[in-house]
Amino acid sequence: MLPRLAILWVMLGGSVFAKEFSQADREWWAFLPVTKPAVPTVGTNWALNELDHFVARKLETQNLSPAKEADRRTLIRRLSFDLTGLPPSPEQIAEFLADRSPDAYEKLVDRLLDSPHYGERLATFWLDLVRYADSDGYRADHYRSDAWRYRDYVIRSFNADKPYDRFVREQLAGDEIDPGNRDALIATMYFRHGIYEHNQRDVETQWAEMLADVTNVTGDALLGLGLQCARCHDHKFDPITQRDYYRIQSFFSPLLQRASMPVGTLEQRAAYHEKQTAWEEATEAIRARLHAIEQPALLQKTTGEGFDKFIDKIKTMIRKRPQDRTAYERQIAELSERQFGVEPAKLEQRLKGDAKLEWQRLREALKRFDTLKPKPLAQVKFVASDAGPVAPPTLIPKTGVTVEPGFLSVLGGASAKILPPPAALQSTGRRTALADWITRPNHPLTARVLVNRLWQQHFGRGLAANTSDFGKLGERPTHPELLDWLAARFVADGWSLKKIQRRMVISATYRQRAANPSSTERDPANVWLARAPIRRLGAEQVRDALLAVSDELDLKAGGAGVVAEKSTRRSVYRRVMRNSPDEVLHAFDVPDHISHMPQRSVTTTPTQSLLLLNSGWIRERALALAKRLAKRYPADTGAQLEAAHELALSQAMPASDRADALAFIGQSSDGSAAATQAALAEYCHVLLNANAFLYVD
Amino acid sequence: MNGDLHNFGGAQSRRDWLLRSGAGFGAVALSGLLAKDNALGQGPTPSFLKPHFVPRAKRVIFLFMEGGPSHMDLFDPKPLLNKLAGQRLPESFKRPITAMGEAESPLLASPRLWRRHGQTGTWVSDWLPHTAECVDDIAVIRSCWTNGINHSGGVCQMNTGQPLAGRPSLGSWVNYGLGTENENLPAFVVMTDTKATPTNGPRNWSAGFMPAAYQGVHIHPGAEPFRYLNLPKGVTPEIHRRKLEILQRLNRNHQATRSHQSELEARIRSYELAYRMQAAAPEVVDLSRETEATKRLYGFGNKLAEPFGRCCLLARRMIERGVRFVQIYHGAGSKWDSHSKMEENHSRQCLQSDLPTAGLLKDLKSRGLLDDTLVIWGGEFGRTPMSEKGDGRDHNPTGFTMWMAGGGVQGGQVIGATDELGLWATEDRLHVHDLHATILHLLGIHNLDLIYHYKGRPENPTINEGTAFTKITIG
Repeated sequence: MLPRLAILWVMLGGSVFAKEFSQADREWWAFLPVTKPAVPTVGTNWALNELDHFVARKLETQNLSPAKEADRRTLIRRLSFDLTGLPPSPEQIAEFLADRSPDAYEKLVDRLLDSPHYGERLATFWLDLVRYADSDGYRADHYRSDAWRYRDYVIRSFNADKPYDRFVREQLAGDEIDPGNRDALIATMYFRHGIYEHNQRDVETQWAEMLADVTNVTGDALLGLGLQCARCHDHKFDPITQRDYYRIQSFFSPLLQRASMPVGTLEQRAAYHEKQTAWEEATEAIRARLHAIEQPALLQKTTGEGFDKFIDKIKTMIRKRPQDRTAYERQIAELSERQFGVEPAKLEQRLKGDAKLEWQRLREALKRFDTLKPKPLAQVKFVASDAGPVAPPTLIPKTGVTVEPGFLSVLGGASAKILPPPAALQSTGRRTALADWITRPNHPLTARVLVNRLWQQHFGRGLAANTSDFGKLGERPTHPELLDWLAARFVADGWSLKKIQRRMVISATYRQRAANPSSTERDPANVWLARAPIRRLGAEQVRDALLAVSDELDLKAGGAGVVAEKSTRRSVYRRVMRNSPDEVLHAFDVPDHISHMPQRSVTTTPTQSLLLLNSGWIRERALALAKRLAKRYPADTGAQLEAAHELALSQAMPASDRADALAFIGQSSDGSAAATQAALAEYCHVLLNANAFLYVD
Repeated sequence: MNGDLHNFGGAQSRRDWLLRSGAGFGAVALSGLLAKDNALGQGPTPSFLKPHFVPRAKRVIFLFMEGGPSHMDLFDPKPLLNKLAGQRLPESFKRPITAMGEAESPLLASPRLWRRHGQTGTWVSDWLPHTAECVDDIAVIRSCWTNGINHSGGVCQMNTGQPLAGRPSLGSWVNYGLGTENENLPAFVVMTDTKATPTNGPRNWSAGFMPAAYQGVHIHPGAEPFRYLNLPKGVTPEIHRRKLEILQRLNRNHQATRSHQSELEARIRSYELAYRMQAAAPEVVDLSRETEATKRLYGFGNKLAEPFGRCCLLARRMIERGVRFVQIYHGAGSKWDSHSKMEENHSRQCLQSDLPTAGLLKDLKSRGLLDDTLVIWGGEFGRTPMSEKGDGRDHNPTGFTMWMAGGGVQGGQVIGATDELGLWATEDRLHVHDLHATILHLLGIHNLDLIYHYKGRPENPTINEGTAFTKITIG
């Protein structure tokens, strides 16, 4: 009975739906509008900016006092890793220590935010969210030769402090909103990062999975809501109906994965479209006949996985002329066509007799219309657009109910108003409508979700702990007013990531020491922020720091991915091959890049210890570091050791460590220059295993 | 294990702490520091803490025949197939989508000689004479089905429950739920019979969205059983020891000003654990103490059988030492995949795997280990009654055979059935989720109550589906 009622509800349409939700559903914190809370007055002696007052108020109610400000070495190490993912150089440390001006800290923050390495660091966080990779996954794990352009686009966007709303709009609908902008088209690779099986004969199921994947990742990454629960049934915990799920999915239903797409302004695209249409009309009869002659000959013998292995339904779609295909048929046919190749060059051989004569005649005739053809536009590869101006229907499986694009019912989601873009774009405009909705300044989720993610970057834990689940399965925010204040500020600052991050890191909250015994004891998870968290370096930071310390890091930016193990480039520029992750990065919890990853695991395992101690690659870094030291401070073991600590740990070497180190070198060598150098390398190897290297506090 | 679950009040912080506490290969510290070896249900947030039920099996050895063995040539005889050989699939049979589009190809006869074996008369073909000797310990499940039509999806699903990548492997779930009994060894071990990589590679034994600590560890027979166990060239044990000493001193100095930081303490501990593993692992793979008779039982001395036999013998040594879940790939890299030359392919695959499989069962039984060790045999799918390329068979995910033995399974029985041609499972159909639920059930775990919170959502091993086939214990 219940399912039938649900179907009836569905058929009655959206407005009725709101009635299904309880008041508690509708008043769930994340669905309420972002407020602009007044800044509390608590904490005036300590606070450096507004957000400290919010933190101070909570500390007061918890009867906790903030930790003291960390020393400058700790601060520059923390900031450098946080904002650029790299350790500070000894020169940068010295400069900061020597700067006695009152705004020395702010100047450091600004220098790091302006660094080209800022975007490289922040990109990792975004690439995790959109499960970016350079390979297909599945069995063959084919390399995607153009995916890296998206990674560079993300880095470029962050370095330029592109407003977040613009950044989101480009990814969801760059092809519709700015078709002449190459970057906006590259942004649509957002739709290409899912896994893909190159020889999957069940093409329709694979396409359904690809659409679901895009829907899910959008919910997770942009809305901070787990939509996928509602794919098969109404969400059991959150007010998201199955119908809502497919209403959101229908924004993506027209999607077409494209090998390439033209870059052209609306005017250029329109001019092209007009000429192309004229040529098509003029040549229609010829081309129709050519198709009839050529296609059977082409499909008779195909390369790759082959045409004959598809079921009849798909063969029929493939046989249709492109203009005769519905949008859905185009999607399925083109996805299928990726599995095999045809060989037009062999038509000459394959056609016989009269057919061949006719074919030759038609080809000649067609050529005479070449002057009508538009000049080809520049292309960008591995992107996405719509399959045409008419969207295929979106059906709720097993019910046969068709839905139209619409927003979440609990957010008052009326059906979306879709404005069709100019005909030249051959697109539905659906994704633009979705992008407009998500980036509305008053959207209750978008800004909250993003600032909360950034907070997690800098404080180790989101104000709402489940950064991709603002629903009922996620924890409520510990500082709801602060979260709202940040979200409102973020939008008011023009959706600037740099500005909001700057506010976070110049705060007194951020500058605290890690040590605060009463906080550690009474608030072990550091929910109330009475100290700085101690954090293990992330996978990329570990690898990059190893190369930076040994002076081997190649800071070249951008371009096709490199094999991490064989390269000294920054980790963000590695080829992310899903089936063969780099061992060092994998050991330190780099995600699988198959699903959305909002918060990486941080594990401590003997596997990591064995790798750090015994892998040849790590030891080579230690040898390189020792070489660097020997060159810089020849025959001066004391100076070498001090420099090693400065480089690897950003700290001055304590006297006790110095004595231990000298004793180690003495015991491990016979005093000859070669043996001393070897012992120094072993000591460097120890430093690269040390907690003081692997953790930031 | 006594099925008595400890109700930890502060499971969240404990689990949290354990994860960071050098919790070695999986939840090492669970056995070492807390309840003896039972951590069921303690996700990052405790979703349930009530006991499940008394386990029949304490550990699992999963023999994965990669590429898809042909059920109607091994365990599921189909007289009608030989009668209709050369004809098209009768119209009364529903057409599946197959990987190579062979739905309309002529049916291929099975030239096997079939006999009933054991006291209960289980049918086994002449391709598996040694396994046939063990049928009284084996429950043959003829009614398995899965969704993945290709190797990648099929292998992924048989390991993780779904054809799409991203979820934890069954071994990871078991590791997460039960931990290990030996903190110096991984709880979840994977071996391959050759150097070839199984389809999907390490993803098959990955922990998916769980922390990497729960993933399987690929162990290679030989001088370095797992990666980075041995010292790098040029580092003597003496230098190594001194390095560890000074490292611990540096870490203690660092920690002195950062008291109460469990992460730092955990990492210090992880180096101690690593050191102990370096001592423990070589002993596990050292077969010098095994008798010649035992080795022969596993096929040592037989060129074809020895590689897989070595893995099987190692598996026995591992489970004896507390490893919880061992998976061995036979035919790594889809070697059972017989799209053509069925006869040649399966003859070879069976000569390689049959003797060691039976040897493992016999050895476990004689040592009293079979009672609480569950042995599973099967691939990612079966094969079609329709032919491919004249003398091969296409993939068949809609009906195929697996078997289970030991660990509480009632031997000598046949469960379920396929249709008259072996194409679709028809009776007591068991989806991969049901198979996983059954395996977990035998381990004392209710599949829907083993919860891990990912992105705030409660996830379980069988994706909210799957029912244990509990009758497998009674027959």
